[in-house]
Amino acid sequence: MACAHASPPATTVSQARGFQLHHELAVTAQGLVKRFGDRRVVDGVDIAVPKGMIYGVLGPNGAGKTTTLRMLLGIIEPDEGERTMLGSERPREMSDRVGYLPEERGLYPSMKATHAIAFMGALRGLDWKTGRKRAVELMEAAGLGHATDQKIRKLSKGMAQLVQLLGSVVHQPDLLVLDEPFSGLDPVNQERLEKLILAERDRGATILFSTHVMAHAERLCDRLTIIAGGKVRFEGSMADARGTLPHKAHYVPHHNDAGIAALLPVDAVEDGDGGWRFTMPDEGIEALLVRLINAGYGISGLSIERPSLHDVFVRIVGAQALEEAAAA
Amino acid sequence: MNGFSRLVRQTMTIARRDFVATVFTPTFLLFLLAPLLMLGFGTIGGLGAATMAKSSDSKSRIVFIASGEQARTVVAMDKQLRRMFSLASQPADLIVEAPSANPRAQAKALIDRKGIDTYAVLYGPLERPQILHVDNAPRSAEYLAELASQVLRAERAGTDAPLSEATKTVVSRTTTSESGQGQAAFFTVFALFIVSLMLAGQVVGTMAEERSNKVIEILAAAVPLESVFFGKLLGMFGVALLFLLFWGTVVVNLGANAASVMPPRLAAGLSEIGPAVGLVPYGMLFLAYFVMAYMLLGAVFLGLGAQAATQRELQMMSLPITIFQVAMFGFAAGAAASPDSWVATAAELFPFSSPFAMAARAANSPELWRHFAALAWQAMWVIITVTIAARLFRRGVLQSGSPKIRRKKAVT
Repeated sequence: MACAHASPPATTVSQARGFQLHHELAVTAQGLVKRFGDRRVVDGVDIAVPKGMIYGVLGPNGAGKTTTLRMLLGIIEPDEGERTMLGSERPREMSDRVGYLPEERGLYPSMKATHAIAFMGALRGLDWKTGRKRAVELMEAAGLGHATDQKIRKLSKGMAQLVQLLGSVVHQPDLLVLDEPFSGLDPVNQERLEKLILAERDRGATILFSTHVMAHAERLCDRLTIIAGGKVRFEGSMADARGTLPHKAHYVPHHNDAGIAALLPVDAVEDGDGGWRFTMPDEGIEALLVRLINAGYGISGLSIERPSLHDVFVRIVGAQALEEAAAA
Repeated sequence: MNGFSRLVRQTMTIARRDFVATVFTPTFLLFLLAPLLMLGFGTIGGLGAATMAKSSDSKSRIVFIASGEQARTVVAMDKQLRRMFSLASQPADLIVEAPSANPRAQAKALIDRKGIDTYAVLYGPLERPQILHVDNAPRSAEYLAELASQVLRAERAGTDAPLSEATKTVVSRTTTSESGQGQAAFFTVFALFIVSLMLAGQVVGTMAEERSNKVIEILAAAVPLESVFFGKLLGMFGVALLFLLFWGTVVVNLGANAASVMPPRLAAGLSEIGPAVGLVPYGMLFLAYFVMAYMLLGAVFLGLGAQAATQRELQMMSLPITIFQVAMFGFAAGAAASPDSWVATAAELFPFSSPFAMAARAANSPELWRHFAALAWQAMWVIITVTIAARLFRRGVLQSGSPKIRRKKAVT
């Protein structure tokens, strides 16, 4: 990249949410609000994306993820609130250092794949010649070497989507913003895309991406925020997210009878295979196991299951749905 | 890279894409050759109309009922009188018929004759001739009356030869005539109108491509919308320039060959038509005003077209757009006809008619300073129009307000 880099701020953010991060921040947002008519689509969103991390913006459909990303990028202006991108309050001034893959994919159908990539690079300050050279290299690295001279209209949807992603990284941006990057991709292309995202992170780029598919977020994200109903419901690391729910235990006794339920925690549920699932007791599982062994049930199997991001997401979004229902 | 050069770079990137995407397609060839098709159809239509007119002319007659020596004098005077008419305004062919026993019935029978159109018939004594004519041929009747009068004069003078012999000498003006300047002004407005009608309208649908392909989101994230709009205008302007260059070369080459075979009278007539500022400055001003007319009208059309969500909406816009262009042409044509009137001043000041009216001014008046002021004024309106178009697009299509004025540049 030829352009000079503004030094990102070292800032303590999100204190209101109980987080203390001492990081250089690639993106910040405070109290972002966007109304469409009477509806507050984004309602006071705070975000702090540390530099060099993969940051996920998670939320159900219609949560306000895309609108938030568009405000962060400067495509639309917030009605309230402040945001910075790579240290500037004017995100558009930083556009040469940013790559963006929008939710609605868009390419000129009559362009050749390499030209489309070079064009997207040129929009962000990369000269055409370098853009075309890098486009060929990137396509070959992504397994699309056979399609360099093909027109976009001849490519499959997945290939076109990968081409567009390559177009968003061809100028080697410091920040890559991906809006629902996995939607519409088959598993093979999803894996390619994951590799590409990780490669960009390893190059030193910060990645901010939105999704409502938890598996991708779980595999990729260093930090994440969950948005629902236009509000931030959670912000933190993956471990923090999982920490919001207790671990589950799966216990299989040597034999089952009616008396065992009295010894197990109140939320224990028989799983049909002779095993029981229950939330890990606050005091730990050891005391419980001693009681079960002493009562003659023994231990045929025991596993401790940490909560998945899916569980966390469902609990948080479900709580928001209940909240909205109550408000209604 | 500073802000301005960045803006220029982004604008040129968009312009380049649009230019390449338009020019390197088979449909561009069709667009480029469209005037040839127009010319072809025009020629076919013209030939058809000319054939019809010729066939109609060959069947048209006026009749003079006279006999003997008088008939010979009538033919001689008709020949003399016809010299005063141009080819297009010649009276219908004259037939001289000998009188019958009832000249009035003879005249009526001639008017009613099938297979030939007799417009007027003169009969009776030349001092008080009677003329029968059809409703739509009063001028034929006038001609016959004048012919009778001339025949009578010739008879009284005793000769049908001209009574005086004039010596005619052709001289050329050293300057263009006032009417020639007026004609040049009108021609200028008309030429600008035609090229802007053909070319500026092309930009209406260009934003529709980005909207339908969803590329607009990529562009809006990467470059300011003003750059997108300017880029599209410039890209399509490049296409327009290529079109003009092609046809300009063709016309200049044809013109050079045509000049050598042009009739001297036509060449002399054309030499009187010319711009007041001189040919070279006029050429430069014409080009500058073409750029401004294209940019101004193109910016309006681009802005309107950007608001259209569907092809149907775009099609619906074509009529008001054409009406707008014709209105600007009418306004500027009025200015060309009366360069010192308030209409001319208004047309020169109103931004969207200004390029047309000022181009006409270049043909009508030798002052140059007005043109520099006008070009600056028009350039300012190009920027204003594009900015408004971009803001309307941002609000209406991207559903965003205008960027806030920032109090600080960086987080501290």
